[in-house]
Amino acid sequence: MSEQANVVSIRLRSRRRREPEPTADLHERLRELEAELARARAEAVPSRGEGPLVALARLLHASGGALNWANLARISRSRYFSWHSEEVDEFGYDPKFTEKVRPIFEFLYTVWWRVEAAGVENIPATGPALVVANHSGVLPWDGAMIKLAVRHEHPARRECRLLALDMFALFPFLAPLLARMGEVRASQENGERLLRRGDLVGVFPEGVKGVGKYFKDRYKLARFGRGGFVRLALRTQAPIVPCAVVGAEEIHPVLARADWVGKPVGLPYFPLTPSFPLLGPLGVAPLPTRWSIDFADPLALDGYGPDAAEDPILVNRLSEEVRSTIQRMIDGRLARRRSVWFG
Amino acid sequence: MRRIAVTGTASFLGARIVRRLVESRGPDAVVAVDIASPPKTLAGVRHRQLDFTRPASDQQMLDVFREEDVDSVVHLAFFTNPRRDASHAHELESIGTLGLFAAAAAAGVEHVVLRSFTAVYGARGQNPNFLTEDWPLRPNPALGWACDKLEAEQHAAAFARRYPRMTVSVLRFAPLFGPRVRNFYTAVFDRRVVPVVMGYDPLIQLLHPEDALAALEAALARARGGAFNVVPKTPIPLLTALHLGDKLPLPIPHPLAYAAADALWAAGLGGAPGAFVDYARFLCVADGAKAERELGFVPRFRSREALTAYLEYRHPRVERRAAEVHA
Repeated sequence: MSEQANVVSIRLRSRRRREPEPTADLHERLRELEAELARARAEAVPSRGEGPLVALARLLHASGGALNWANLARISRSRYFSWHSEEVDEFGYDPKFTEKVRPIFEFLYTVWWRVEAAGVENIPATGPALVVANHSGVLPWDGAMIKLAVRHEHPARRECRLLALDMFALFPFLAPLLARMGEVRASQENGERLLRRGDLVGVFPEGVKGVGKYFKDRYKLARFGRGGFVRLALRTQAPIVPCAVVGAEEIHPVLARADWVGKPVGLPYFPLTPSFPLLGPLGVAPLPTRWSIDFADPLALDGYGPDAAEDPILVNRLSEEVRSTIQRMIDGRLARRRSVWFG
Repeated sequence: MRRIAVTGTASFLGARIVRRLVESRGPDAVVAVDIASPPKTLAGVRHRQLDFTRPASDQQMLDVFREEDVDSVVHLAFFTNPRRDASHAHELESIGTLGLFAAAAAAGVEHVVLRSFTAVYGARGQNPNFLTEDWPLRPNPALGWACDKLEAEQHAAAFARRYPRMTVSVLRFAPLFGPRVRNFYTAVFDRRVVPVVMGYDPLIQLLHPEDALAALEAALARARGGAFNVVPKTPIPLLTALHLGDKLPLPIPHPLAYAAADALWAAGLGGAPGAFVDYARFLCVADGAKAERELGFVPRFRSREALTAYLEYRHPRVERRAAEVHA
């Protein structure tokens, strides 16, 4: 290594010593060329007397040749890849896109809802785990906040993959966005594949009954599906981490539902809130309540064995156990909460 | 010496698998069966000319199997592209397969490899992200192209049940994509502006032909019965694929997309009937774990690599420019 370095330095020195004149010549020539270029520029572009119309005509003329399908495709490509990465994982999770849209959710997390997360360390640092939470708030904002809570507060900064309801995971425009952010359509097959890969998965067993809840039913947990999440956890031996979100149930107070509007376009419900659809698009803005997200101790299921998933009585019992744990956590929070807006 | 009969040797996969089998087992081990005479590249290979859509084709098939002493059949006589002549496609794919299996059973053929398509699962919103072989096959009933393949699979399953001594391997291939492939999917990438369904961006799978041939060889070598998905390592989002190919996606609302595709198809302009729009809208991605487990087939290429290989072959200039932009 040192020998090589010596050789190189010797060569450099010898070259510099032998021919010092050409460098000076080149500098001289360069200066001349630059002066020539400056003169040519000054002649080509008249400094004054050109109105905006002429400038516009020049611009159009210059871009006229460039306006073709190939260039449009290239522009569209560069715009697309400034937001999306070229590689996604097998479920379509796009880290670059997630990074790009994260500021929106961070604003909501820290400023708008001032989320207070507790017990995040109950989520194991590695290996599969199933976060089970209550669902509310018409749009899946609570899921986004759980993801951020895990990402921000957990020492391993884990990425939580949510199992999304059909109404979100199949809805045009929303569907590709959710897939890019790492969400997967809720089904036993998808959940099992994620857990077997060792991912952290979030589910909302209340489903549609939870998100579309009336304001008067807030913080009363609906039925936890048919215990599908318990079967999922039993089959994959993943621990269940119960999670209670308080604050999300007031962001869109559903006073009534006009389901006859929603059904024809494929929505399971159509919420009527004090602001929506009265204020139009503005009514979609959620109210700035104060949120808390609590994670309970994980419920280990590895004592049961994978066959336990076929035992409906056991599945129901465990499902009810998780449900009552979450209800207890919610009730505890509500008892301590002084104000909807300030916590 | 017992021979392997390959049907549909004028097709892309057929011609290539014959060449590979000739290379590995000698020219006398293979007999090519097709309606067309074999291409020049297959000179010296035994060839039997046969039309599957003729009424007595099963009898002819039986004669071929008996005379040539066939013990394995690779059935590749399927249309990759949707056809306007739907009844002809039905005769070839569904009825032709029925005749082939009848002849194979009568001739005591031991192993039949049937070429199928992952599109037979049907693209539906309710599909899991990775379809396994035991998932029900539910193609859009309006899409005859997929329904004929489904019927071929059903005939295969019925014969496999009735003749337990005959091993039937069904290989469900993802859409082929790679150098020298010319099909409906690659035609999409030969346009500048590609209509897509507004608000949808499904993951798609593109299978490199090298992987498809390797899977066929693995299926012949292992002779395991049942259905196997032959898919690339990872899928790719449709829009990412289009943008990587420098295409300009033109979003069309889905109610309009079905009608427009149907109208173009009826007018003789479009590449596929309206029901095909499902595949640009919903997931139809299959899981290749079973083929890896039972056939020992491990795909070498990801969808992205199959796409890049095709683009490099088709537009060498564009690829160079894209590389320069990245550098």
